[in-house]
Amino acid sequence: MKKSIKKLISVIVATAAIGTMLTGCGGSNTGSASKGSGGDATITYAIWDKNQEPGMRAMADGFEKKNPGIKVNVEVTGWDQYWTKLDAGATGGSLPDVFWMHPNQAARYASNGVLTDLTDKIKGSSLVSLDKFPKDLVKVYENSGKEYAIPKDFDTIGLWYNKKLFDEAGVPYPTDKWTWNDMLAAAKKITNTEKGIYGFGAPLDMQQGFDNFIFQNGGEVISADKTKSGFDTPAVKEAMQWYVDLSLKEKVSPNQQQFSENSYTAFFESGKTAMALFGSWMLSEFKANDYVAQNCDVAVLPQGKQRATIYNGLGNAIAASSKHQEEAWKFVEYLGSEEANKIQAESGVAIPAYQGTTDLWMKTQTKFNSKVYADMLTYAKINPYSKETDKWQTAEKESLLNAFTGKVSVNDACDEVAKKVNVVLATEK
Amino acid sequence: MKRENVAEISTDKSVKVKKKISKSTLNEWKWAYIMIFPTFIGLMILNIIPAIQTLILSFENAGAFGKSTWAGLDNYKKLIQDPDVIQAVYNTLGYTIVSVPAIVILSLIVAVLLNQKIKGRSVYRTIYFLPMVAAPAAIAMVWRWLFNSEYGLINYLLSIIGINGPKWITDPNIALISIVIVGVWSAIGYNMVLLLAGLQEIPNDYYEAASIDGASPLRKFFTITVPLVSPTLFFVVVTSIISAFQVFDIIFMMIDKTSTAIKNTQSLVYLFYKHSFVLNDKGYGSAILMLLLAIIMIVTVIQVKCQKKWVNY
Amino acid sequence: MKNSSKNKGKILTHVILIIGAVIMILPFLWMLLTSVKTLTESVQIPPKIFPELFRWDNYPAVMKILPFASFYVNTMLMMAGRVIGSVLFSAMAAYACARLNFPGKNIFFGIVLFQMMIPGQLFIVPQFLIVQKLGLLNTVSALIVPGVVSAFGTFLLRQFFMGLPKDLEEAAKLDGCTIWQTFYKIMLPLSRSGLIALAIFTSLFAFKDLMWPLIVNMSIDKMTLSSGLASLQGQFATNYPQLMAGSLLAIWPMLLLFIIFQKRFIEGIATSGGKL
Repeated sequence: MKKSIKKLISVIVATAAIGTMLTGCGGSNTGSASKGSGGDATITYAIWDKNQEPGMRAMADGFEKKNPGIKVNVEVTGWDQYWTKLDAGATGGSLPDVFWMHPNQAARYASNGVLTDLTDKIKGSSLVSLDKFPKDLVKVYENSGKEYAIPKDFDTIGLWYNKKLFDEAGVPYPTDKWTWNDMLAAAKKITNTEKGIYGFGAPLDMQQGFDNFIFQNGGEVISADKTKSGFDTPAVKEAMQWYVDLSLKEKVSPNQQQFSENSYTAFFESGKTAMALFGSWMLSEFKANDYVAQNCDVAVLPQGKQRATIYNGLGNAIAASSKHQEEAWKFVEYLGSEEANKIQAESGVAIPAYQGTTDLWMKTQTKFNSKVYADMLTYAKINPYSKETDKWQTAEKESLLNAFTGKVSVNDACDEVAKKVNVVLATEK
Repeated sequence: MKRENVAEISTDKSVKVKKKISKSTLNEWKWAYIMIFPTFIGLMILNIIPAIQTLILSFENAGAFGKSTWAGLDNYKKLIQDPDVIQAVYNTLGYTIVSVPAIVILSLIVAVLLNQKIKGRSVYRTIYFLPMVAAPAAIAMVWRWLFNSEYGLINYLLSIIGINGPKWITDPNIALISIVIVGVWSAIGYNMVLLLAGLQEIPNDYYEAASIDGASPLRKFFTITVPLVSPTLFFVVVTSIISAFQVFDIIFMMIDKTSTAIKNTQSLVYLFYKHSFVLNDKGYGSAILMLLLAIIMIVTVIQVKCQKKWVNY
Repeated sequence: MKNSSKNKGKILTHVILIIGAVIMILPFLWMLLTSVKTLTESVQIPPKIFPELFRWDNYPAVMKILPFASFYVNTMLMMAGRVIGSVLFSAMAAYACARLNFPGKNIFFGIVLFQMMIPGQLFIVPQFLIVQKLGLLNTVSALIVPGVVSAFGTFLLRQFFMGLPKDLEEAAKLDGCTIWQTFYKIMLPLSRSGLIALAIFTSLFAFKDLMWPLIVNMSIDKMTLSSGLASLQGQFATNYPQLMAGSLLAIWPMLLLFIIFQKRFIEGIATSGGKL
């Protein structure tokens, strides 16, 4: 008796499954390949940040209004899987029509013909003009003199500090006159090892860590022509020594072993580090965190021999294999226009790269002194990148780890970094 | 099945002696081929051919997006000299040698206990199964909390009895043990289900007969349970070993790329992932994978050959 | 260790099981507690175990952001498809390996074992390319493809079949059964616990499969529970309370499946004498 019921159920389920499979096989929603009659096309726009989805959707809506007949699907894939997916898609020739590009990957994608060359389209466009974007950012998405993506936004790194901890230690807040020494002095005063409170968080991190100080000390992570590592130069070694000393010698920062157990972000968000470097993308996370929203704020980075902060920016690119080149370009063109960037600014999800929209973005920033992020753009240095950025960044981190644990001297670690990075850079030619 | 017909015997003795190919044997063959056909085709297309492609890839210098150049044995030469790979082999072996016996023994004990008519055993079974459906992020968070050297529960409990607990996940010498603990923890529910299924097949009468003879529970376990559950046990041992060699997720979740303990915990699959997916060096990554495959194959073949010694069919 | 043991044995059993159970259930308690915390509370160092207030609004919040209905349907279809395929095909192949003799048997079994030795990450890109060629990208069918045959299942069921008495075939022959009838009417019912175990595991692997749905499908409404939730993990920061709330919402199908099926284990197979 039971067996026959089981049989019945399995038959039903099987039918349902097969039925769905058949409808699925009809290719109802195969993303970039659908085109209805009468020019109603659907294009896919792939992004990796769920927080930015509302802003991107708003821009897509603005575009659809101006372009009836073209629908845009915004699709979020988490950062961890985004590049694996794109890579697989590129190998197989089925990519989303439009997608976010990152400086670390841009050169690889562009030089291998995965992205559509936009140079002529941009020249002939009345909506988009490359001089509305920061020069360095435009260059990031350039390859062999051609442009492969239009900049979307930019982010810089700021100095976050915990007002409560500063007040408790009786230390005045960071100002825009601060130097490395001022920061160190404040950190020393606030550090209270008994309570487990550190003045500063100095983890093994490049963009939100020592790269900023390297540039401030007049050094370079890699040479401007991307052929040599800057790690064997005195300027870089000096900056790295100072940075590593913060945790190992001055003890104003947790050490790397502690950062291996808890993220440096968590340290700051729990009030265990009084100062730390964070990019403008953390604004929405910090706003949602009531402890940080109440007790913390951001200031410009202190200066070393010169002022510097790392800046980066995403770009919008088109897949060369997309079957909707026309529509995709219309969309990317729109995304690079003033109107779209105003929408992006108003959504507050990112700082648009388009000149003149920063004020609109500022209006959405009610919690913190976010203005400093935009202000720092004038002396910002582009996040170091090349064709195989991931390769040399990995080598760099691995060699530097030994310096951060004190196993190897900073000097020796830097020399090792230079050697390994040069090997990688040599393969790019 | 029809009765065996008269067999066609080959009278030509100079040709190698063929088996008697009777109609029923042919019928058996026919059915066998039909029954293995779907699985065979599926495995070939979905798994074996990709594996061969990966083997070929290991001899290439993989460029971006599928374009590659032939590199011969270069990747393998690099591999044997790579300290990371050598260390990863030790890490992976160490992980396997410690975790598998623990998993097999603990799962067997739990399965046996939960095979008895005790109160609440469905509840217990469900609870032991829970780790299988827990979100990986949650698992990582909990264990990182338990293992935290400053305020973690484990070190707290140890401090009560006066022991100064180690830095579980950041000390290069200890971190692998922590990974083993999490690995064993997450595999018990799964293997318990397998063993329970195997235990269900043992007829009660054997135990009853043994009780009548006055056998102790332990005696019954070793003379009845273990031999009769050995086919399933064999499966559990083989798959646990293979799975242990392939350890990746736990390490990926618990140990940061920049952690002080990364070199002493990264497994071969972890290195494969790093080279193939992060550094885009698919050729080298594939070579590492081939090395791992070779190790697993040797170990598995040894086990299969030894199964006659202890597995009862 | 059987039911005739003294009470001491029973108490010891319970003690052992309870200690184990506590260790097993910890992450769930963690997930539950985190799902009702605020963002701040969830990232505290040292961790705040209990929230100040139980904030249940994380649940509606995450349900608004993610299309859970689609996730449930896609996950169920994926599980159903894979279970049907793998149980059916594996049982057939396993029977052939365990009880039939044919040329190439060892080679076939070798292929089965071989597949299991290969780390799954190897298959992702090649299978993606196959699915793409079939034009099945971004469909529910694509979710089923990798699991429709199963080496694991073949091996598992082979062990089960080999554990059944050899005289079964003889008896069946005498009754005039064909090979298929022997398989279908006799062997299958007897290995019910193995089939159920395989069904549970196939469902479980389908449920946990993260990379595959992410790679092969694009739209969020074609995602499964595990892959859909992954979109909540950001490059730099994750909303843990929402992620945990979502994860707890996600485990119910699998848990229910297990609870329902494991009762069959309790019913068990007839325990007297022969199994027929």
